[in-house]
Amino acid sequence: MTEKFSRRDFLKLAGLGAATSAILTGCGPASRYVKREPYQQMPEYNYVGQNTYYATTCRECAAGCGLVVRTYQGRAIKTEGNANNPLNLGKTCARGQATLQGLYNPDRVQGPSTGDWDSAIQAVADALKNYKPNEIAFLMGMAPDHLFDLVSELASATGMNAPVRFGALGMFESRATLSKAAENLFGQAGLPWFDINGAEVVFSFGANFLETWLSPLPYTRGFVGLREGETKLRGAFVQFEARMSATGAKADHWVPVRPGTEGLVALAIGKLAAEARGGAMPRAFSSVNPADVAEQAGVELEALEELAAMFATRKVLAIPGGAALAQSNGLEVAEAVLALNALSDNFGQAGGVYLSGLAPMQTEYNRPASAQEMKSFVEKMKSGAFKVLFVHGVNPVFEVPASLGFKEALGSVEQVISFATFPDETAAEAKYVFPDHHGLESWGYQRVATGSDKPVLSGAQPVVSPYYDTRATADVLIAAAQLAGGKFAEALPFKDEVEFIETKVSALMAEADGSFSAADPVTFMAYFQQHGGWFKNVDARVSLDGSAVLNNNFKGSEAEFAGEGEFFFVPFVSPTMAEAGANKPWLQELADPTTTVMWNTWVEINPETAHELGLHDDDVVKVISEAGEVEAYVYLYPAIRPDTIAMPFGQGHTAYGRYAENRGANPADLLGAHFNEAGDITFGGMKVKVEKVKSAARGIGLSRLESTMGVYGDSLGEEH
Amino acid sequence: MADHKHDAGHAHSEEHFREKHLMLDPLPRGVMNDMVMESMTGKPTWKFWTVVIVLSAIVAYGLVYTWAKMIAEGLGIAGVNRPSYWGIFLVNTVFWIGISHAGTFISAILRVFKAEFRRPFTRAAELMTTFGLVQAGFSVFMHMGRVWLSYWLFPYPNQRMLWPNLHSPLTWDLLAITTYLLSSTMYLFLPLIPDVAMARDRSTGWRKSLYKVLALGFRGTEGEWAHLRNAMNIFAFAIIPVMFSVHTIVSWDFAAATRPGWNSTIFGPYFIVGALHSGMGAAVVVLAVIRSNMKHMDYFIRGEHFDAIGKLMLIISMAWAYFFFNDYMVQWYGGDKWTHQLLHFHEAGPLGWMWFGMLFCNIVVPWAILWNAKWRATPWLVSTVGLIINVGMWFERYIIVPISLTINRMPFTWRMYNPGAEIPLGIGTLALFILLYVLASKVIPLIPVWEVQEGQMAHELKKFGRETVVSVSELE
Amino acid sequence: MIRPEEIKMSAEETGKWGMVINQDICTGCQACVAACAMENNVTFVGEEDSGYGRSMHWIRIERFWEGEYPEVKMTPNQPMLCQQCGSAPCEPVCPAFATVHSTAESLNLQVYNRCVGTRYCANNCPYQVRSFNWRDYERPEPLPNQFNPDVTVRRRGVMEKCTFCIQRIHKAQDKAKSEGREVADGEFTTACAQACPANAIVFGRVDNPQSLVSQLAHKGHGVKHLEELGTLPNVTYFKGG
Repeated sequence: MTEKFSRRDFLKLAGLGAATSAILTGCGPASRYVKREPYQQMPEYNYVGQNTYYATTCRECAAGCGLVVRTYQGRAIKTEGNANNPLNLGKTCARGQATLQGLYNPDRVQGPSTGDWDSAIQAVADALKNYKPNEIAFLMGMAPDHLFDLVSELASATGMNAPVRFGALGMFESRATLSKAAENLFGQAGLPWFDINGAEVVFSFGANFLETWLSPLPYTRGFVGLREGETKLRGAFVQFEARMSATGAKADHWVPVRPGTEGLVALAIGKLAAEARGGAMPRAFSSVNPADVAEQAGVELEALEELAAMFATRKVLAIPGGAALAQSNGLEVAEAVLALNALSDNFGQAGGVYLSGLAPMQTEYNRPASAQEMKSFVEKMKSGAFKVLFVHGVNPVFEVPASLGFKEALGSVEQVISFATFPDETAAEAKYVFPDHHGLESWGYQRVATGSDKPVLSGAQPVVSPYYDTRATADVLIAAAQLAGGKFAEALPFKDEVEFIETKVSALMAEADGSFSAADPVTFMAYFQQHGGWFKNVDARVSLDGSAVLNNNFKGSEAEFAGEGEFFFVPFVSPTMAEAGANKPWLQELADPTTTVMWNTWVEINPETAHELGLHDDDVVKVISEAGEVEAYVYLYPAIRPDTIAMPFGQGHTAYGRYAENRGANPADLLGAHFNEAGDITFGGMKVKVEKVKSAARGIGLSRLESTMGVYGDSLGEEH
Repeated sequence: MADHKHDAGHAHSEEHFREKHLMLDPLPRGVMNDMVMESMTGKPTWKFWTVVIVLSAIVAYGLVYTWAKMIAEGLGIAGVNRPSYWGIFLVNTVFWIGISHAGTFISAILRVFKAEFRRPFTRAAELMTTFGLVQAGFSVFMHMGRVWLSYWLFPYPNQRMLWPNLHSPLTWDLLAITTYLLSSTMYLFLPLIPDVAMARDRSTGWRKSLYKVLALGFRGTEGEWAHLRNAMNIFAFAIIPVMFSVHTIVSWDFAAATRPGWNSTIFGPYFIVGALHSGMGAAVVVLAVIRSNMKHMDYFIRGEHFDAIGKLMLIISMAWAYFFFNDYMVQWYGGDKWTHQLLHFHEAGPLGWMWFGMLFCNIVVPWAILWNAKWRATPWLVSTVGLIINVGMWFERYIIVPISLTINRMPFTWRMYNPGAEIPLGIGTLALFILLYVLASKVIPLIPVWEVQEGQMAHELKKFGRETVVSVSELE
Repeated sequence: MIRPEEIKMSAEETGKWGMVINQDICTGCQACVAACAMENNVTFVGEEDSGYGRSMHWIRIERFWEGEYPEVKMTPNQPMLCQQCGSAPCEPVCPAFATVHSTAESLNLQVYNRCVGTRYCANNCPYQVRSFNWRDYERPEPLPNQFNPDVTVRRRGVMEKCTFCIQRIHKAQDKAKSEGREVADGEFTTACAQACPANAIVFGRVDNPQSLVSQLAHKGHGVKHLEELGTLPNVTYFKGG
């Protein structure tokens, strides 16, 4: 706060005066609803009555979609996609739309927990100074990248532990498995890139690419290309999964294979296809017996044969993803499915598989920590190796499965400093909370990891002045480093966050084929802000050499399951809410695409199974695994295997504001600490028990948009 | 008839006639006037005050408090939702308009057709019209989202030059109900004039002042009587088409809509008969209550009246059954899949018991009981049947409004309706209806004394040999 | 007395707006629902009311099931919004002229400040796309900062529904008029169409044969819902598949 009485302060007071007099003079019933807003948030360069649009980057997930935010008199009014951004081409998902409800959320952290920023920066500086560098750890989310870069530089210059990144979305995507499979098959780690747009047929083994998987907007665009291509026939789409996802719901054929057999099914289809084609049987498929696989997977052999026949005539793209990879044999599943593409010989070709190219300012693929790596991180916390833990952009107490013991391990860390924007579970456990701005109030950039064929750096700039007394974490770190002095000050020789970003971004000026160019850094930076980022007009996808893929020897191993229960368990990320949407009321009130449930957590059970167990819609059941138990309402879901139950991830917060708190359950509590070969948690490899807690009571239960009468015929007096 | 013959041969045959028929059992005018005055002005008992206090408390909570809360917080405290946007509010509106029908029906139609048995109870019936319409008005206004702007529904001059939408059945509805309320109130008032004049001459204090005003200086001259008769005649004829139009228009609120189950051409007469059905039922209940709770009323209201109304109830019940069947058949054969779904839902849905209950109350009960002349003359039995018919008719409206609204052409939106604040509000209107009657019984002569006296003057018992016969002279 | 239908708009402001929705590529992602709520100040109602048929969604995505496990299929997602009927059943039944037809834009208007809340329009809407403000739903501070100043914030007792983002139509028309030209096809679109990641929603002038929406609408095998009622809806659906 400045001591001087600025023009803005004057306007503030004037505005308040106007508001007060409006209340005093108001009369009649309508006047209570008319409220004059003071000019408190209004930057001087805004024109009254005119909209101002700012390009920035969406921070609801790490994909890095460009946004254009309409602001009016200093308030953010509406987000739209940035048409200049090659990743999302002007489109947004529901979470991007609702990001304003985060910005103006009534439950934000409104200021540093120490009371003022001077003491906050002192506290951070003390934490940096008073501990050995290797006792200091950073745990960061998958966004934003500029802060990750800044912390990485700080860490490498001072000998601190390199920052570790984690996000529940990455965990549920099994990114480590995908990357490892690519490394094993093609000798190069990275996120595969699937050209659905150019394919004739898509076989997806559990990949929920229309929901939250990797980068849903470009994959949705690809799906439209598959269906609506101008020059080709409508492409077919087959989904293999135990529980019909919103993606699977769009498939022409939904094949409910038993969890854990996805890899076997892929190999069997490969074998049948190779047989149909004739010639030598590739080594990759030689170990499986399709008849046995059909038996194990619980599907008809004829169905597999029909699907295999597609390979003979059409260009098929096979995609591994989701729960299929989160099995004890997940790595082999990923490899087997990727290997199927060899039958279509589509590696590095339109309609085929590529590897995502490196983004600007990126020298190698760096993936977020796998769950196994998080486990060793937690062990270091427990052992006291970490004395200071900085947490930014992630809510590990909620997002890391409870069985990994993150919350308990926090107790062993002397100082936990959270930079949370919202009062989340981790912030509740932290010693200090020094809130960062909301994404729309922030500077930054984000490297687009996958989804675009071009290398894209999405740029972020504040679209409104900070609403609360928050401060950019980068600024806090720079100030604290300077205060700490010595090598800390040397590591971050920047005036502030913006200077750091300018330094980084202006390095791109030298690159060829840029989406824009400028002669001087100031102009370049201005363009960068105006365009919402910078991209290179080249196809950076990596063409793969798949020639040897079919020479792999796949064991065709069966998945092992943890726990005693009779049901396979499929947790999936809520398509509308994802891991951090629960505090936005409109995301809560969006109907889930498959169940239309709002505001709560449900357990999907096949109606036949439910009938056998005496369960009905809205009964409360306890789902018990070896790692824990949760309670939720029953939803009789017609498109799930009778031996499988499913739960959405996204609810079950114990903190995180009024809209999220004490609502629903967190299925991650059920996940045991088991990992596949690539280190991803085997969230699809749990066996669970279901116990009825209480019967449905009138007026209590799931809020559904759909009518159970109209959709399922409940209460219509139909003969059953 | 066998009874009659037997009696006719008896020495007490004349006694028998007098006992049975009010018209043949005249009392001196002064005595009768005193009886009516006493029933009205007698000191209220503790029972009376208890009833008034209890009813007032129900009205205060159910109607005043709940409605105020609903105005302040919105209709959310009620149970209305998508797709049952109307709910019990409109059930009650139709129900009360139905009740109000019988008053005018009894009074006007029977007066026009010179049905002599009507004489002692026209007043009670006319009051039912007015009081019922008040409840209907409450029910329809309370269901509006912004009732404080309800004056926009009336055609009044305003600077925006906006009139109500004359395409809307709701506008017709409002105009029809307003017309009906005004004309039925006037029709209630006209026959009241000689009675309040009588009361004016027999009371003191505030009563005298009140009746003085109400009597409009009526002294009972030949000229005054002639004018009054003229006016009553005009109103009796004029109000009949108004009455028919009101419930037809109420039915158009539903029939004019593009909804399965509503869009039926027979709804107009079906609603009128339904209204008469519930209205006659309500009238008979009111008579039984008056008879058993007010002094001297057993002289005025006798078994013969219940017998006469009972016959009417039986006929109306048959007519209702005919229209119900007609409506059902035509809708079913219409072949629309949503209508099929709806009709099936009526019987087999979770509230199917209500559909069968409706048929039981409206058809089975009246047919089973009212065919018997002796049972018909038993006040408690006939009034119980009347009560049951009203339950049945309330069910009928519940089936037409919220249950039929549940099913529409968008199955994704079908949803059950669970009433909330509608229940206290509905009970509040019922309590207000009774309360108005209870209070009116202390202020207004519930028996049109002059009409009874006029009838008694016209009736005579004559003896032809051993046979006693009734002779009625033409009055006008 | 001026009757609403006598009010004439100037020639350049007339137009017939329509929409084409391709159910084959709609993924049911709810981006349109969120975008609509953000653009039009649509309130959220909370768990209890939303589960009791009181949600305020101006656009909802319907889906049904076909067949039994394992041959079960979800029917194509069907975004359902006000069909902006040419002959709308909601219009004649409103006693207060709060639901009127705009001859200028060929839309069904909902005049919030004229609405007295009889809810007859909602009963008579065959598509059941009208939402009623059952309460004054709480939007705690500072959530109201995001209100779109171009769109009225509705209070309790008022009916509301999709407007085809009429504020955007007017803004584009004003802009075009001030620049002395016609509104170009695709110059602006509704919030739902703008957000739709699959471009499953296309909006534009259906009276202009050159517009994308007209060309799509005349591609054949398009369906207009409940057309048999004579409502003349302005939204065409393609089921595809």
